[in-house]
Amino acid sequence: MRNHMDQIPLRKLSLKSRIYHQRYLLFMALPALVWMIVFNYIPMYGIIIAFKRYRIIKSIADSPWVGLANFKELFTEGDFSMVMKNTLGIGFMRLFIGFPLPIIFALFLNEIKHAGFKRTIQTISYLPHFISWVVLGGIMMNWLSDAGLFNEILMKTGIIDEPRFFLAEPESFWNIAVFSDVWKELGWGAIIYLAAISGISPALYEAATVDGANRWQKMMHITMPSIMPTVSIMLILAISGILTTNFDQILVLRNAVNQSASDVIDIFVYRVGFKMNRFSYAQAISLFKSVVALILLLGANQISKKTQGHSLF
Amino acid sequence: MKNKLINVFALAIFFLTATLFAGGQQGDKDAAPAADLDPNVPGWTLDTSPVEFDWYLHFSWFPNQWGVDPLSQYVTEKTGVDINFIVPAGSEAEKLNTLIAGDQLPDFITIGWWEGFVNDMIEGDMVYALDELAEQYDPYFFKVAVPSRLGWYEREDGHVYGYPNASYSPEDYERYDVPANQTFLVRKDMYEALGKPDMRTPEGFIAALEAAKKMFPEVNGQPLIPFGSHEFGDQGSDSFGKFLQDFLAIPYEEADGTMKDRFADPEYKRWLKAFNDANNKGLISPDIFIDKRAQMEEKIAQGRYFSMLYQRTDFASPQMTLFKNDPDSVYIAVPGPSNSKLDDPTLAAVGISGWTVTLISKNCEDPERAIRFMSYWMSEEGQRDFYYGVEGVTWEMVDGKPQFLPEAKEMMDTDRPAFDKQHGANQTFWMLMDNPMFEQWQPAPVEPFKQMIEWTYPYTVSVSQYDNTEPTPDLDEGIVLGKVKNMRGKYIPALVTAKDSAEFEAVWNEWQQKKADLGYDGVLEYQSEKLEINKAKLGL
Repeated sequence: MRNHMDQIPLRKLSLKSRIYHQRYLLFMALPALVWMIVFNYIPMYGIIIAFKRYRIIKSIADSPWVGLANFKELFTEGDFSMVMKNTLGIGFMRLFIGFPLPIIFALFLNEIKHAGFKRTIQTISYLPHFISWVVLGGIMMNWLSDAGLFNEILMKTGIIDEPRFFLAEPESFWNIAVFSDVWKELGWGAIIYLAAISGISPALYEAATVDGANRWQKMMHITMPSIMPTVSIMLILAISGILTTNFDQILVLRNAVNQSASDVIDIFVYRVGFKMNRFSYAQAISLFKSVVALILLLGANQISKKTQGHSLF
Repeated sequence: MKNKLINVFALAIFFLTATLFAGGQQGDKDAAPAADLDPNVPGWTLDTSPVEFDWYLHFSWFPNQWGVDPLSQYVTEKTGVDINFIVPAGSEAEKLNTLIAGDQLPDFITIGWWEGFVNDMIEGDMVYALDELAEQYDPYFFKVAVPSRLGWYEREDGHVYGYPNASYSPEDYERYDVPANQTFLVRKDMYEALGKPDMRTPEGFIAALEAAKKMFPEVNGQPLIPFGSHEFGDQGSDSFGKFLQDFLAIPYEEADGTMKDRFADPEYKRWLKAFNDANNKGLISPDIFIDKRAQMEEKIAQGRYFSMLYQRTDFASPQMTLFKNDPDSVYIAVPGPSNSKLDDPTLAAVGISGWTVTLISKNCEDPERAIRFMSYWMSEEGQRDFYYGVEGVTWEMVDGKPQFLPEAKEMMDTDRPAFDKQHGANQTFWMLMDNPMFEQWQPAPVEPFKQMIEWTYPYTVSVSQYDNTEPTPDLDEGIVLGKVKNMRGKYIPALVTAKDSAEFEAVWNEWQQKKADLGYDGVLEYQSEKLEINKAKLGL
C-alpha cells in the first residue's frame, strides 16, 4: 500500500507534518547541528571580550567594558599599515596566481588520455599537501639556504654568481610564501575541479565531435562553461579568505630580517594574544578581520549573482 | 517559521551557557587548625600512606616521568607520594591558559618566576599561601626554607605563595664561585692560529673576524661564519641585548638609583655600530638572523663559527662532539666586546629569584601532604636524595662521604638521557633543587667545559635586586613594556644590517623616539619603585 502523502509536494504541507514526514532525515542531521551549536555558535559569546579588558582569572562577564579602545589602539598602532599591506599583498598574489593554476592544471590533466599516467601525475601533484608546514618549513629553510638546492641550481646554471640568502631578503618573501604554497596545494586544489569535470555529460562531447570540434574547442566551450558554477563558488570563498594567510607557513618561514614583509594579521594576533597575553586586543583584531571577510564574501557573492547567476546563497 | 524555531533554540542555549559561565566559583575549604605539631619533626614522617599528586611543569621540553627511575621509586616508597607530571605537548602558554580558565589547575605548579601567570594565579586566588599551609600542617617547613628566599617572595599581603629553585642570595656570591652563562667564545685552533687577537675593541673585533675569514674561508667545504649569536625572535636576540650589555658592563640603574634603559646606552650603540660595520664588510652572515637554535647547535658541532656571543650551557653536546674529533677544535671563552674604558664585564648570573617557583593550587585535595612533601624536598635530606640518588645504585660511602659510583658518573657525563632513566639522580628532578646546597657535593667541572665555566667566575655579579621589577601584562605599563620589547626584534636587526652610517643613525633615532612616544619612561618609573622595594628586602 502506498502512502498517499508521497504524492503531495512537500512545500504544500504544514511545518509540523513536514517535520514528521522527514523525521528520520532530520534526526540524522541532529548530531551535526548540535556539534555546530556547541563548537561554532556558543563560543561566539566570547567575541564580546573585544570590547572588554579581559583577564584570564576573571570570567568574561566580570571583566570591565572598555568600549572601542581596543579597536582605536589597533588602527593607531605603528605596525598596522605594514601588517595590512603584507596581508593584502600575499592574499591578492595568492588569489591571482594560486586560484587559476589548479583550474588550468585540472583542465590539462583531464585531457591526458592514458589513465595510468594521469593517475601518477595526480598522485605526485598532491603528495606535498600531506606534509605539514612545520616539516616542510624546515625543508624549505634548507633548500633556500646559502648552500641549498635553489642556490646550487642558480649557481650551476650561471644565473647568479654568489649565493643569495633568500629568507633574509624581505623583497623575496611574498614570492616564497605564495609559490611554495601554490606548489604544495596545486594538486589538492585541482581535485574539486576534476570532480566537477567528471560530472559533465559525455553526450555534450559526442555532439561536439559530430559537429567537428577539436579538443581545444571542446575544452573551451564544453569543459570550461560546465565547471563555471564550481569556479564561481570557489572564487567567492577565496575572496572572502583573502585576509586569512597561511599561519603555519608564515610562522615557520618568517625571521628577524624578513619581518617587514612577513608580519601578517594572523601572526600579529598570535604575537599579541598568546605571547603578550592580551586576549581582548587579539580578539578585536580577529573580529576586525572577520567583519572584513564577511563584507568581502557578501560583496563577491552579490557580484557573482548579478553577473554569473551563480551564488552561495 | 523554521528560522524562528532555530533562533529560539540558539538563544535558549546561549543564555543557558552564559549562566553556566558566570556561576561556579569554588568556596575555600575550612581546615581544622593545627594542634600540636613539633617544628623539629619533619611533617612527612607522620603520614606515609600512598597519595598521588598531579604536578604541572610549564616546560614542554621536560622529558622524564616519575616512577621510571630508581630514585623516584625510592622517594615514593619513603614518603608515600607518587607524582604524575603534566607537561604541555605544545605551547606552554596555551596549556596553562586552558588550565587556569577552566579552573583545572593540578596540585603543584612549577613555572618560571618571570611569567605573568604567577601573578595571575595568586591574584585569582587559585593557589595556597605556603606560609599558612606550613603553620597549619607542617611547621618544619620554616626550618628547611631559606629565610632570605621567603622574604624575597613575600608579597604585599605578607604571604609567600611560591618557593624558588636554583636561588642564589647575594651572600651566596661571596661564599661560592657562581658561574655565569654568558660567554664570548672562539674556536681554539683558529684563535691560536691568528695569534690570539685582542677582540675587546670594535677595531680589534672586526680585524679578527676579517683575518679569520681570510685564513679559514671554509670549514669542511662550507663557508665559515665569522660571528654567531643567539636566535633572533620577536624580542630581538639575547646576544645583542643582555649578553652584549653585560659584556660592556652597562649598569642597570642610573647614578640616582632609578632604572635605566640599557638599550639606549652610548656604549651599547657604539658596539651595534661595530656590528653594523662588520656587516657591511660582509663579516656578519645572514645565517644568524635566519637560523633557529637547532640549526645553530648543528653548526656549532661542525665548528662553523669562528666566534660567538652565546650561552655556554648550549655547548654541552656539540662541544663534546668537537672534543672527540679533535680536542683543539673546541670553543674556549676569551675576553669579548668591552666598553671604551675596557672595564671587566659584569655577567649577571642567577639571583635570589632563582629559575622556577613551585606553587600549590587550591584544587589540591590534600594540601597537608603537599606542603609536607615540599618540606621534605627542600630539606637537606631531600636535596641529598635527589642529588645522589639511591645508595648502591648511584652512590656509595667512601671515607664517610657519599661518592657517585664510577659507572654512574661516566654515564652522567656522557649519556645524560640514559642516566635520567636508570638513576634519576643529579637534578633529573629539578623542581625544588637548591643549588647553593649542592656546592658541598658538586664535583669539579671537567674539560672540555672546565675552561668556559671557570672563565666566568671572576666576572659574575648578583643582580637579584633587578629581578621581578617588570610590570605584569595586565597593567598599562606592562602593555607598553611588551610593545617596547617587541620593537627590539625589529630595530636591532635593522641597525645591524643598515646600509651606511646615515641609515644607522636614522634607525637608532627612530627607535629611541618610538620608545619615548609609547611612554617607556612610565615603565622605568614603575620599575624604579619596585627596585626600591627589592633593595629594602635584600638589605642593600
